[in-house]
Amino acid sequence: MLILENIHASYGPIEALKGINIEIKEKEIVCLIGGNGAGKSTTLMTISGINRPKRGRILFEGKEIHNIPPHRIVQIGISQVPEGRRILPKLTVRENLEMGAFTRGKKETERVLPWIYEIFPVLKEREKQAGGTLSGGEQQMLAIARALMAKPKLLLLDEPSLGLAPIIAGKIFKIIREINDKGVTVLLVEQNAKAALKLSHRGYVMETGRIVMEDSAESLLNDPEVRKAYLGE
Amino acid sequence: MIKKFIRILLLSLWFGAITFPFTGIRNAILLSISIMASLILWNTLSKGIIKREGIEIVSKRIQTFSSKIPRRILALFFIFLFLILPLFMNNYFIDIANLTGIYIILALGLNVVVGLAGLLNLGFVAFYAIGAYSYAILSTQVNFSFWASLPIVILLVGISGILLGFPALRLKGDYLAIVTLGFGEMTRLVLNNWDSVTKGPNGILNIAPPEVGSIVFREPIHYYYLILIFVILTTFAIKRINNSKIGRAWVAIREDEVAAEAMGIDTVRMKLLSFSFGAIWAGLGGVLFAAKMRFVSPESFTFFESVIILCMVILGGMGSIAGVILGAMILVLLPEALRGFEHYRMLALGAGLILMMVFKPEGILGGPRRRAELRPDDERIYMQEIEIISKPKF
Repeated sequence: MLILENIHASYGPIEALKGINIEIKEKEIVCLIGGNGAGKSTTLMTISGINRPKRGRILFEGKEIHNIPPHRIVQIGISQVPEGRRILPKLTVRENLEMGAFTRGKKETERVLPWIYEIFPVLKEREKQAGGTLSGGEQQMLAIARALMAKPKLLLLDEPSLGLAPIIAGKIFKIIREINDKGVTVLLVEQNAKAALKLSHRGYVMETGRIVMEDSAESLLNDPEVRKAYLGE
Repeated sequence: MIKKFIRILLLSLWFGAITFPFTGIRNAILLSISIMASLILWNTLSKGIIKREGIEIVSKRIQTFSSKIPRRILALFFIFLFLILPLFMNNYFIDIANLTGIYIILALGLNVVVGLAGLLNLGFVAFYAIGAYSYAILSTQVNFSFWASLPIVILLVGISGILLGFPALRLKGDYLAIVTLGFGEMTRLVLNNWDSVTKGPNGILNIAPPEVGSIVFREPIHYYYLILIFVILTTFAIKRINNSKIGRAWVAIREDEVAAEAMGIDTVRMKLLSFSFGAIWAGLGGVLFAAKMRFVSPESFTFFESVIILCMVILGGMGSIAGVILGAMILVLLPEALRGFEHYRMLALGAGLILMMVFKPEGILGGPRRRAELRPDDERIYMQEIEIISKPKF
């Protein structure tokens, strides 16, 4: 579904990605794990077009997308949930969701909303509240829901558990699985490697701009190197 | 308590000290005393008789009352009021009303750029000037009529909005403000020095007045109705775009550009659009100004004009159409009303703006979102009013 071929990209003056190859198949949950500054977020930014790659190709459903502006990438079916949620705090929950369906138009908005409220009943309750008044977990849900409003085939999640209590983070992970069950492919970037690997089908381990390991999530969970470096054992 | 009193004392003395060089010692002392008195009065009143809650209950009641009257009827009432108003006014007042109308159009245009898209434009007067001069030149050199020039001028101003937008897009906040300020000054200097086309500081005379059928516009009352029609048109257009997808996109860009981009908003296009859409109204204001005065000169388009228009937007309430209209009215009418006070009037205006920023930073009719932004600690405002006022339309 999505293929990254030998992607080089910079984040400001720093070369953050030094030739990475990633492949994601349909209906999969794939996670990217790695320490701070490994280039995980840059990878997502590069896929969604906000950051342009210096070299290499990105293919989505067989078509090159690395030269397409970000708003077009949302249209062809890739939505990103940016790091730190970035909801619009002064707009109501409903308005936030409508903004998510910006590329889809009014009719689609009406059609998708019930589906979203089914996954996130709490957002229905808080429909008319300003986004900034929600709790951290609810804001994360809103950010994910907003990205889903664009009816993506591929959802990019950047650190969805950031700053959340473990129990809330668990809830978010459960929701991600539920979304995946409904047919959305997910690429997940996480610091919480254990939870991410438990949720995913496959995983990539990144270190300083390179992919150093690639395997099924299960084998990565049992790999002694990974356990030592990222699972704190 | 004593601390507060000392603060009031110092504040009044400070006011006296800064006004003393202009007004002389006697007036300065008078001013100090009157400020002191009013501050003490305010303090006792706000603590005792009218509590903050009290004010809020009253304003809430007015709000629920006004929300019961359908918006459309309210709008029709105002249109009717303004239609018959000139029948009770002499030419002097009609002329001021005309000026007010032009400023309303300008302020509404700037509101799109500053209030919705959140791009601080300090060179807005440039578009006003380009509009006025384009019509002046078209009218005197090519003999184009008012109605034939109008679409050409609007196109020209729209394009100049995009031209300013391109280099300005990479910038944000203060830097953007400086670039736009430079643009405004550049435009004025070009008008001042390009003698062969703009006639330099002498300005362009004998601009043709508009005509409808056989009626040539000469009297202020003719212009009154012409301007009124354009004010209604502007209000309507801006109201529509406010509630449209594009308006939402502007708000989203103002709130969080990265998030807006991630949601599939073409931020570059939207920002250019806001610049050029705002500029169009300034151009329209310029055409009306040139047609009304029948004379344009660079003096009318100084930086001060940009500031005044920005003040109208801020005073009335950024992002609120009714607020911006009110702000424009106040800032045109107030200096007229204060004419008797001569040079104090600018001082009074400045003091009024400062007081406004201290006590009601969101503007007279600022929307609940602005209020939430400027008073993050006031949860009551934050939670309730958004529920009442915000009706998502898409």
